[in-house]
Amino acid sequence: MAEEKSILVVGGGISGITTAVEAAEVGYKVILLEKSPYLGGRVAKMNKYFPKLCPPSCGLEINFKRIKQNNNIKILTQAEIENISGQAGDYDVTVKLSPRLVNEKCTSCNKCVDVCPVERSNEFNYGMDKTRAIYLPHEMAFPLRYVIDSDVCEGAECGKCVEVCDYKAIDLDMKPETRNIKAGSIVYATGWKPFDAASIENFEYDKQPNVITNVMMERLAASNGPTKGKIVRPSDGKEIESIAFVQCAGSRDENYLPYCSTVCCLASLKQAIYVREQYPDSKVYIFYIDLRALGKYETFYQQVQKDENIIFHKGKIAKIAEYEPTDDLIVEGEDTISGNKIKEKVNMVVLATGMAPSIADSKIPSDITYDEFGFVFNDLQKAGIYAAGVAKKPVNVASSIQDATGMALKAIQCVRR
Amino acid sequence: MSDRYMVEPDLKAVKELTGSGAGTLKKCFQCATCSVVCPLSGDTRPFPRKEMIYAQWGLMDRLAGNPDIWLCHQCNDCSLHCPRGAKPGDVLAAVRRYSFTKYAFPKFMGKLLGDAKNLPYLLAVPIIIMIILLASIGHLNIPEGEIVFSKFFPLFYVDALFIAVSMFALLSAGIGVLNFWKDMNKSSNLWVPSMGLFPSIISTATEIFGHNKFKDCGVNKDRYNAHLLVFYGFVGLFITTNIVLVLVDFLHVETPLSLIHPVKILGNVSGIALFIGITLVVLNRLKNKDITSTTSYDWTLIGMIFALVITGFLAELTRLAGIAFLAYPIYFIHLVAVFYIIAYLPYSKLGHLLYRTVAMVYSKYSGREH
Repeated sequence: MAEEKSILVVGGGISGITTAVEAAEVGYKVILLEKSPYLGGRVAKMNKYFPKLCPPSCGLEINFKRIKQNNNIKILTQAEIENISGQAGDYDVTVKLSPRLVNEKCTSCNKCVDVCPVERSNEFNYGMDKTRAIYLPHEMAFPLRYVIDSDVCEGAECGKCVEVCDYKAIDLDMKPETRNIKAGSIVYATGWKPFDAASIENFEYDKQPNVITNVMMERLAASNGPTKGKIVRPSDGKEIESIAFVQCAGSRDENYLPYCSTVCCLASLKQAIYVREQYPDSKVYIFYIDLRALGKYETFYQQVQKDENIIFHKGKIAKIAEYEPTDDLIVEGEDTISGNKIKEKVNMVVLATGMAPSIADSKIPSDITYDEFGFVFNDLQKAGIYAAGVAKKPVNVASSIQDATGMALKAIQCVRR
Repeated sequence: MSDRYMVEPDLKAVKELTGSGAGTLKKCFQCATCSVVCPLSGDTRPFPRKEMIYAQWGLMDRLAGNPDIWLCHQCNDCSLHCPRGAKPGDVLAAVRRYSFTKYAFPKFMGKLLGDAKNLPYLLAVPIIIMIILLASIGHLNIPEGEIVFSKFFPLFYVDALFIAVSMFALLSAGIGVLNFWKDMNKSSNLWVPSMGLFPSIISTATEIFGHNKFKDCGVNKDRYNAHLLVFYGFVGLFITTNIVLVLVDFLHVETPLSLIHPVKILGNVSGIALFIGITLVVLNRLKNKDITSTTSYDWTLIGMIFALVITGFLAELTRLAGIAFLAYPIYFIHLVAVFYIIAYLPYSKLGHLLYRTVAMVYSKYSGREH
């Protein structure tokens, strides 16, 4: 195998990690790019997987271990592609690296955080809490190293963290860097972002603190989340007596996200269990157009249906209003089975928003094609650039992993040609 | 499910609907967003979600005798928020159009008015009748001297013709409405009379004269002004015409009335209201063309109302200006338009003033509403 080029994997979520590890473990060089300061992507923010209800942390940990044990993988965090040129087997890629301002000497001792005077909204918890300007992305972050948000950091003028760091791990003068990378094939594992719920009319998402999205619910239920895993409503920390899940919030709607994301129904079923486990007297209402639990997931649906305090209504919620003067909300829909309107008063509402392609608005500068929704069109006739996981279409974690493994093979075929 | 129901889809009717403005019908996936965003729909058995599936399945018996299709005022809030572009507003409009045909008496009139292509035949009827009438009294020429329309078309004949036409229209309307009422009774399964018939009528009239329903509309709230002007324009012209009839035929007052005669003023003001109103109707339709589709069927009635009001004013103006060779023919065309509006009212879109009024009364009377 003379002069073999690397495989470039774009995106360090579960799909990107999978492609990288699978290719590296059979002896290929892999460069893994990640835009944020840590690997794990959306999966790192999940509380539990459906249908087994196990936490994603163990799967991630195994993968991080596989990365650490393998010399073939090079990881670049806070990295974004600026340009791609060349062709299959011989790509020249320009990558921009944003400065972390913390070097590899960091031991994660947390002294810096104690002295940092600046706060920032915590993107990891979807803005539900705050971190200091220097922070650890989350307790299982990989690489396990602190990072400074240069957008809010006051820089050398403040410098309190530099003073307190015993290991000289903080370098406020670190500059952005541009690197040229040679790659034989490229795999986009750029994943997804939650659909912007604020754009949905009549849902009051940006006005009502107690209208949250399903991804926020994952953080509320997670033990490393903003409430340490206790599900309470955001406005006043009240315990949950009643909660409504609004399926297809913006999904299957030509005004917003025209397709089905395939996971939101199962995510809500799973989250209904979170609530019922924490609050045995609570009522959970699930409003849906069609409940999509395909294949083996139907068993999971049937299990959830057995709980008589989880109430299913066939009919989409089209209006959410405040129930003044309390912080409660009224969700309004038509139960299409009875043919009558339902106005249910609940403590909080979870919008089951779908998955929008991450790169829909910031397309990677190369000649790849996208489908009508902004997902990467995987043109297998055209060797060289592939897409894995949700970059390609909305699927669940298990399918993403299977797909990412397959794409490792496609990438290998291309560098061996 | 204790009651079993044999679905008998009327596929021909479904085709008819999709061909008459409800082409988006099959896109509906029954999410019921429409029933919730509808500002006019109530909490029990709201519309238009159920009407969408009746229409998809061709359950025409459930649609025709259903007052809800008339409680809809096509605000189009449903069409705006519909996640599928199924345009429930347009579908219900097509269902109403279907109803005009269904309840038409005689039947063939419904068919004729149901298709915009038949306009030439429908216009030929008054033209031929009036030419024969004028020929029989030897008036098929432009009279000399000062322009007085009754010299050309004696008012006695005008009144005789239009009273006959009105009587026929009234009879057709009566039969149509009666059959509609029977169908509503048949399909209604929640008869909880909350209001007597007379109070229901009063309450309905209050709503219509106040145009309350239009005020609740979201997307199409501009139509409040447009429809109000058209409505009161017609009411004013109707009153004017009847007063003139009494003045001329019973009190033997000479026409034309002077421009400052109160009845003349009422007529002119009503005409202006109608003109502004119908112009706004057109502007609103053009503005909302992404949300609602407008068919040639809709344009036909709008066109006829324009023809009515424009020829009305042109006849008046050319008469005042003394241009005889224009004034008399325009007056003739004006009468053709008047004939169209009155004679075809029960079968044309204007028939909504019958069926919607009756449906509103029925829904109050039967406890459907409130």
